[in-house]
Amino acid sequence: MKDYAVLAQDHVKVDALEKVLGTAKFAADYKMPNMLYGGVFRSTVPHAYIKKLNMDKARALPGVACVLDHTAIPGKNRFGIIFKDEPCLVDDKVRRYGDAIAVVAAETPELVHEALDLIEVEYEELEAVSTFERAMEEDSPKVHGDTNVNVTKHLEYGNVDEAWEKCDVIVENTYTTHILSHMFIEPDAGIAYLDEQGVMNVIVSTQNAHYDRNEVAAMLGVPQNRVRVKQAVTGGGFGGKLDISVQLHCALLALYTKRPVKMVRSRTESTMVSSKRHPMTMKCKTGATKDGKLVAVDCYMTCDAGAYSSYAPAVIGRAPVHIVGPYECPNVRCHAVFAYTNNPMCGAFRGFGVPQAAVCHEGQMTALAKALHMDPLEIRMINAHRVGSVIPTGQELTESVGFLDTLTQARDKAAEVMPEALERLQETE
Amino acid sequence: MKRRGTGVGCMFYGVGNTGLPNPAAAFVQVLPDTSVHVTVGAADIGQGSSTMAASVAAETLGLNYEDIQVSWADTMYAPEGGATSASRQTFITGNAVKNACQTAMGELKRTASEELNVPEEDLVFRKREIYSSKDESIRMTYPALMAAMGKKGRLAVGAGYYNPKTTYLNPADMSGVPYELYSYATCILEVEVDTDTGEVSLLKAVSAHDVGTPIGIKLVEGQIEGGTAMGTGFVISEKIDIDPKTLAIKNPTLSKYIIETSMDVPVVYPIVVSSEGEAGPFGAKGVGEPALIPSIPATVAAINDAIGSNFTSTPIFPADIVKAWKEKQETQG
Amino acid sequence: MNKITVHCTVNHKPVVVETAPNKRLLDMLREDLNLTSVKEGCSEGECGACTVIFNGETVTSCCVLAGQAEGADIVTLEGISVDGKPDVVQQAFMDTGAVQCGFCTPGMILTAEVLLAKNPDPTEEEVKQAMSGNLCRCTGYAKIVEAVLLAAERKRKEA
Repeated sequence: MKDYAVLAQDHVKVDALEKVLGTAKFAADYKMPNMLYGGVFRSTVPHAYIKKLNMDKARALPGVACVLDHTAIPGKNRFGIIFKDEPCLVDDKVRRYGDAIAVVAAETPELVHEALDLIEVEYEELEAVSTFERAMEEDSPKVHGDTNVNVTKHLEYGNVDEAWEKCDVIVENTYTTHILSHMFIEPDAGIAYLDEQGVMNVIVSTQNAHYDRNEVAAMLGVPQNRVRVKQAVTGGGFGGKLDISVQLHCALLALYTKRPVKMVRSRTESTMVSSKRHPMTMKCKTGATKDGKLVAVDCYMTCDAGAYSSYAPAVIGRAPVHIVGPYECPNVRCHAVFAYTNNPMCGAFRGFGVPQAAVCHEGQMTALAKALHMDPLEIRMINAHRVGSVIPTGQELTESVGFLDTLTQARDKAAEVMPEALERLQETE
Repeated sequence: MKRRGTGVGCMFYGVGNTGLPNPAAAFVQVLPDTSVHVTVGAADIGQGSSTMAASVAAETLGLNYEDIQVSWADTMYAPEGGATSASRQTFITGNAVKNACQTAMGELKRTASEELNVPEEDLVFRKREIYSSKDESIRMTYPALMAAMGKKGRLAVGAGYYNPKTTYLNPADMSGVPYELYSYATCILEVEVDTDTGEVSLLKAVSAHDVGTPIGIKLVEGQIEGGTAMGTGFVISEKIDIDPKTLAIKNPTLSKYIIETSMDVPVVYPIVVSSEGEAGPFGAKGVGEPALIPSIPATVAAINDAIGSNFTSTPIFPADIVKAWKEKQETQG
Repeated sequence: MNKITVHCTVNHKPVVVETAPNKRLLDMLREDLNLTSVKEGCSEGECGACTVIFNGETVTSCCVLAGQAEGADIVTLEGISVDGKPDVVQQAFMDTGAVQCGFCTPGMILTAEVLLAKNPDPTEEEVKQAMSGNLCRCTGYAKIVEAVLLAAERKRKEA
């Protein structure tokens, strides 16, 4: 490594002082004169048409500034980072438990809750699609449009079908990973207000202020330069704050009331409606020579992506590229299908499908090592990416490939701090 | 009975969006007193992208870390930053900051060259001084340079952006260049499993990460330590339960969705591995997501090693372990 | 709604607060006294983000009613620093890189303050035990534990 003047050493983080002093302003810490509090009326069924929505009693409650449904939206009522398939407020049907149906602004948080309790809804319930398998059946109800297929991807490299006969050993396993929550410690929150120039300001806990700005502008039907989104100090994200949370609802209420509107989600609401990690099933066949060289990988990957796309198209794009792991393999196939269901929406979560892929490729490498009576570190070193390796998209790696160094340095450190554990790992039967 | 097991997990991770453009930008100005404003779009969620931006700016401009003030993620003043996701901000916003600084340095170099009578390409900017690489005695301080800039009516301002060199992937077979660069990692992890209760104790984890050039050592270590806690919890304690009828999340609270406490995490030995490359700013790569990944398969493998099981699914909860251990005893007995 | 009057000491100063009887100590501190370093993370005493020092002990202020603060001595993170300068524990959190998103930081620091007041020379295990009621999702706790041990060492040297 070069002799850097500033890098590769330690400096106190630029945001550390205000955080240790307690003066850092998170979204929930903002207070403005004349501020209202906002809340969301949400569905308690997973899949249904709305037959009737009565907001009259809520509107009549003293201290309630406004109650709005989708008819109040001046611009677009569909958003999403890749596919615009999620409504700001439900207009056609409910697609999951917790869909936003109406929003309330009131003088106090207590009044918001009272008003929400006064909203009445009648549903015409539909069969809820709760599994990938049911989603893919011809006669299943469709969550969006006329198919439940959200995205498919197909990676094909080399000739997998002809490769199996060159293998001395083949391992086949099915891996499933589950649905998880980010559980950032700060629940989602934000505040919106119109400034003196008529620009809609949104201060919010987020991982992508510019995307938020574009969605707020589209929903309000105003140019993007008429919206300002400022990231508040944000209490963790891990991908869970990449989707729209309170931005649109706050802005809509601020537009109608001409007053600042703050929304702070409870832990429960935050966890209920923010995105989750995609649960995946990966049926994988891996073949190698008796020396442990990978010859072929074939994986069929399916996923229940939940009610809205969110980052699913990014996850399904990334997982197949990473399905072999950091290893050379001349023949690879990965077919991936993600489906819509009425389950909680899955989205970005630290790793974008690669943690799931890693459960599969590392499970297969460990299984191969066992079948070949090899040291699991050695089989990884034999196949490791190096400068000049080609990945299954045909890309040649030309620089900055430090994988072997991570293997050897981890092994050497383990020999120092956990020698017995390392010995057990490297034992071969 | 308590049984120990060891597992290894490796990963690679393409930094940035997959086969898609995903640019980010930065603005920079060196002020008359040599303090600096850097403005980036990148949202800092505590991982340290703003600290990264300050570090890269200081290294590029030849100033100290303390000279840099960073503002971020306010669309009124900051240029596009893209998402804080895909472990992309160190690579992409880092390059944007470097590019913005290099633009600002155009006038700085021209002025220093005139003042020192040294060709621009021979100038070195480092630790608040400017000198000739041919003769280090020919030098001036940064304040002197900014004073000269002021006399000549020149400003050190720059805007820069970076978009990774990728290609769209072929829809038929996904061929192409999905990412410009990749991070790598290996984790070796030891557990102790109580076969009676199914409880898993996380003992030690060594996690080595190729980050190219580390921007800050503690920043990288902090990601690895936090990622290892989240990765081990992925396998042994965290799970969303869904009500089969309403499809609502049944455990949306921190008392019912269990994340690790200071008593649960393993002792983590983070190893910062460097590698040579030109793509990232000073060769830096992302580590946010890589920090999480290898501990997940390593934990699965360690549990399997401890009790001779063959788990291929997550999560692995105590009841699963007790059941697997009993089945194994029965088939062997 | 009826109001109650609470007399207590907050950050070394006597205060009289008129507040609603159903309010939690957390709400009283954040809303009535504008002490927003006290964070709400879970509302059920699990995460420790709303930790304050209450008569010398840590409590999760989401689980205490405002009325229970009558006569109490309460310290929030705002009461730790002097003239905007970090104290020994706060400085140690900065120096070790123990702060990432910062949302758990106020509770972590207050818990550390109470631990070190009682036990100036804790072992690593004792620190882990003391901090176990404060959840952090970013750091994996390693640098937080290091910060508390560093603060203890610096405090002992000072003394």
